[in-house]
Amino acid sequence: MAATTTAANLAQPRASRGLWGDAARRLLRNGPALIGLAIIAIFVIAAILAPVIAPFEPLQRDGSQVFKPPSATHLMGTDRQARDVFSRILFGAQISLLVGVVSVIMGVAMGGTVGAIAGAFGGKADAVLMRTVDVLLAIPGILLAIGIVVWLDRGLVQIMFAVAATNAPIFARILRGSMLALRESDYVTAARSMGASTGRLLLRHMLPNALTPIIVASTLALATAIIDVAGLGFLGLGPPDPRTAEWGTMLTGATSFYRQAPWIIFFTGAAISVSAIGFNLLGDGLRESLDPRLKR
Amino acid sequence: MALLAVEDLVVRFRTHGSVVHAVNGVSFELAAGETLGLVGESGCGKSVTSLAMMGLLPKPAGRVEGGRVMFDGLDLVTLSERDLRDIRGREIAMIFQDPMTSLNPVLTIEEQMVETIQAHKKTTHDDARKRAIELLTMVGIPRPENRLKSYPHEFSGGMRQRVMIAIALALEPRLMIADEPTTALDVTIQAQVLELLSRLTTDSDTALILITHDLGVVAGMTQRINVMYAGFVVETATTVDLFERPWHPYTVGLLHSIPRLDEERPEQLIPIEGVPPDQRREPVGCPFAPRCAWRLDVCWTDNPPLTPVGLVGRVTTTGSGATHRFACHNPPTAEEAAAGRPLRDGFVAAAPPGTVIERLVGADDVAPAAAEEVALFEMPEPGAKGLPVEPDAGGTGDDDDASQGRPT
Amino acid sequence: MLKYVVRRLIAAIPVLFGLSIVVFAFVHLLPGDPVAALLGQHATPDLTRQIREQMGLDKPIYEQYLIYLGQLARLDLGKSVINNRPVIEELARRFPATIELSAGALLVAIGLGIPLGRLAASYAQRWPDAVVTVISLLGISIPIFVLGYTLQFLFGATLQWLPASGRINPRLNIEAVTGFMLVDTLLARRVDAFFDALRSLILPSIALGSIPLAIITRITRAAVLDVSNEDYVRTARAKGLTERRVSDRHIMRNAWLPVVTVIGLQVGGLLAGAVITETVFSWSGVGSYIVNAIQDHDYLVVQSTILVFATIFLIVNLLVDITYAFLNPRIRYS
Repeated sequence: MAATTTAANLAQPRASRGLWGDAARRLLRNGPALIGLAIIAIFVIAAILAPVIAPFEPLQRDGSQVFKPPSATHLMGTDRQARDVFSRILFGAQISLLVGVVSVIMGVAMGGTVGAIAGAFGGKADAVLMRTVDVLLAIPGILLAIGIVVWLDRGLVQIMFAVAATNAPIFARILRGSMLALRESDYVTAARSMGASTGRLLLRHMLPNALTPIIVASTLALATAIIDVAGLGFLGLGPPDPRTAEWGTMLTGATSFYRQAPWIIFFTGAAISVSAIGFNLLGDGLRESLDPRLKR
Repeated sequence: MALLAVEDLVVRFRTHGSVVHAVNGVSFELAAGETLGLVGESGCGKSVTSLAMMGLLPKPAGRVEGGRVMFDGLDLVTLSERDLRDIRGREIAMIFQDPMTSLNPVLTIEEQMVETIQAHKKTTHDDARKRAIELLTMVGIPRPENRLKSYPHEFSGGMRQRVMIAIALALEPRLMIADEPTTALDVTIQAQVLELLSRLTTDSDTALILITHDLGVVAGMTQRINVMYAGFVVETATTVDLFERPWHPYTVGLLHSIPRLDEERPEQLIPIEGVPPDQRREPVGCPFAPRCAWRLDVCWTDNPPLTPVGLVGRVTTTGSGATHRFACHNPPTAEEAAAGRPLRDGFVAAAPPGTVIERLVGADDVAPAAAEEVALFEMPEPGAKGLPVEPDAGGTGDDDDASQGRPT
Repeated sequence: MLKYVVRRLIAAIPVLFGLSIVVFAFVHLLPGDPVAALLGQHATPDLTRQIREQMGLDKPIYEQYLIYLGQLARLDLGKSVINNRPVIEELARRFPATIELSAGALLVAIGLGIPLGRLAASYAQRWPDAVVTVISLLGISIPIFVLGYTLQFLFGATLQWLPASGRINPRLNIEAVTGFMLVDTLLARRVDAFFDALRSLILPSIALGSIPLAIITRITRAAVLDVSNEDYVRTARAKGLTERRVSDRHIMRNAWLPVVTVIGLQVGGLLAGAVITETVFSWSGVGSYIVNAIQDHDYLVVQSTILVFATIFLIVNLLVDITYAFLNPRIRYS
């Protein structure tokens, strides 16, 4: 029958390599997404290699070199305590990325679980759980984080928890949606009628469906997390030790020195912004390439 | 002179690196007040042809890349957007398939009707409103004064389509194009809407192009029919002539896929095997060849032009005396047309160009037996005493749906 | 539509209660001794006893909660530990400043966002679209405080085109009647002061409005593109309407709907962002009130203010939902 098939189709398009293969291929062709990936790579490397690359220790004071503009020794100048800004930014990357990643993972775990339960059981459980999520959503963004950090006292873990609470609702909604779609879908009924167990259904059907929006949302949530962590630091709610090289904390009280030492704001601000840009670009790129409807 | 003359229209869709050949040289004419049916399966280019005529192709992908559309002496293809806008709605009106999505959900019916009228004529809102009420009455909407302030979602499907017809006829256009006007409606409503359409266009002497995939719809409505396939017109005739004696194998196939109540013996529905061609490739040869039971070798390489039935001095393109024309190298005989399949002894549909066979079968010369194996259409034993013999349905094997390109 | 509004109102009630529980927890259920945490270094034996009584900390939890609810009902949000002034009074005094700032930011976000979004949609995939996309990306990626200080430095300190901070030149001495600087200056018939206040509003509005601007631009672009592909737009063109009319009447009227919803959500972002913006620009509104309270360890103030912000956000969302229902005939007439 091969001959007849050939007769019937006079065109042979490229074979599809499954969702992930296609997605990876599309992603690699997406310019902005690659830029995002490159940016992220740079920051991760900077964070990991900070102890090696940084010319100075983050807490090291260089004599009386207070508020010195960028120079050969201090590539990004010095701050109020005569510390090298460049080194502090490198070490700051460690905190930003660490807290960012952990808080997003926590958010996925907390939010996802709540959402999955709500979607799977429906009814009263759904109503109660989603109302709770609504309460969290009623307290806008950084205010919730502020409330939590003030409540639990300052500390790295508390910050992670606070930021996780801000991004958890998104994942709750995603997982709930996946669960609901699963419950009502025809192919679940079909699979069940062939004896598929709940566990198998969860694993083989729900997870792949939910995975792509979670991946996209996590990447974008990382961008917000980095900004929120810096925001907390800026407001004085960062790590307990005020000398810590955290990007936001480095800018606390900048009102008093932005005129005389603008480079601090410029470089630290650039660090925060560029990392956020990186995650946003990658997130958008992932969204485009993982959307099966756009399959060409 | 004909009201509308489409000459060698070519439309292509170009997107990131791929081309779809949607319309490949379509020509036809339409006289004032005539009703013409454009029939064919999804993707054959019938809707695209009408969109191209109105300049409504989706930009920037869709483009007219050849031919002319002469309306009243003007070539619509070369007309400026401004002039086209003037013609749209006023001289040529179009209604679409889904009345729910074709009406703006946030505007009242009154607003949508009045804006059409005021776009082309200097009228006061009141006068336009009166005209709107007139039109709604004409299409059979009860108590139109009350319904003017309603929103589209407050109407039923059939009513909405009536409203669309009212809007289309508001400015008394000379040509109306109806693209699958009843496909989205319930069967019982379909008849009503078609009857309305027919009556109104006859009363106002408006020419009508009725686009559909349903032969049943055109049977009662149109004076002439163009059958389209893969962007080509493959047969054109008066409705009566077409149904009585189809000439093109595709038309024959279409007519035999419709169950008929007037057959004495329950006959097998004969589906047309295969799927439409991939219109991303430049068309070579007759587009219907892969699915045609009458094909010859030449069909793979030469696309036959439209030729008249019998010996004809002049070709008449419109009206009840329109010349019956078809595009086929090896048309079915009258008996074959009635039977729905070839009846010639030992006839085997020509295999695809030789090289392919050799590679696959692995033989140096292709034995006649092997050629038979690769026939798309398994030949049944000619039935004795007229008893129909079931054609072997296993002919084509699995069609890889995924590998068939579909035009957008 | 009435049914819809009532349903939304009813749905909001449990959320309000939930909010009160959360803030109650923030204040009363602290790990460790709540009074010690609330008072921090301001703890004196008298004050401690007073607060303990006031909060009813010796009573069972649910009684505490009920007392708390009662206080909320009376709009008693507690007192500042520093100066013993009622929180509600200070909030009332400072709110107009935050409202003015938010209004300015919203103006920037909507006034620029929607036209930019439409522009990007009509030039989709071409360079203007790319430019708008970049602006949008920068808007959501640059933190407000970074943008704020940059604007201050550039336009305030270096170029000196606009005031770098504050709501108005303090030397102009305007009496605070309504609390809205733009109104008070006019009431005092000081046009020069009015313009000074207006100019002071520009930089902070841009900083605060940057995120909503970015998002509204994106949503408008997406909405316009989606609607442009709808059948009724094709019908409108087939009727021979001008492109202008098709765009305004048919596309935008429908594209507005999702945009309105997004604007409502962005108000929350404005409230949260005000905290940071007011700090950067020394704006004496509710945002800087929270920040000062944080630095003073005046935690009751912080939590009470958060409660107020959240309630306002809820109300705004409710209003937005009602507006949406009104704009969408399918809901209005159901």
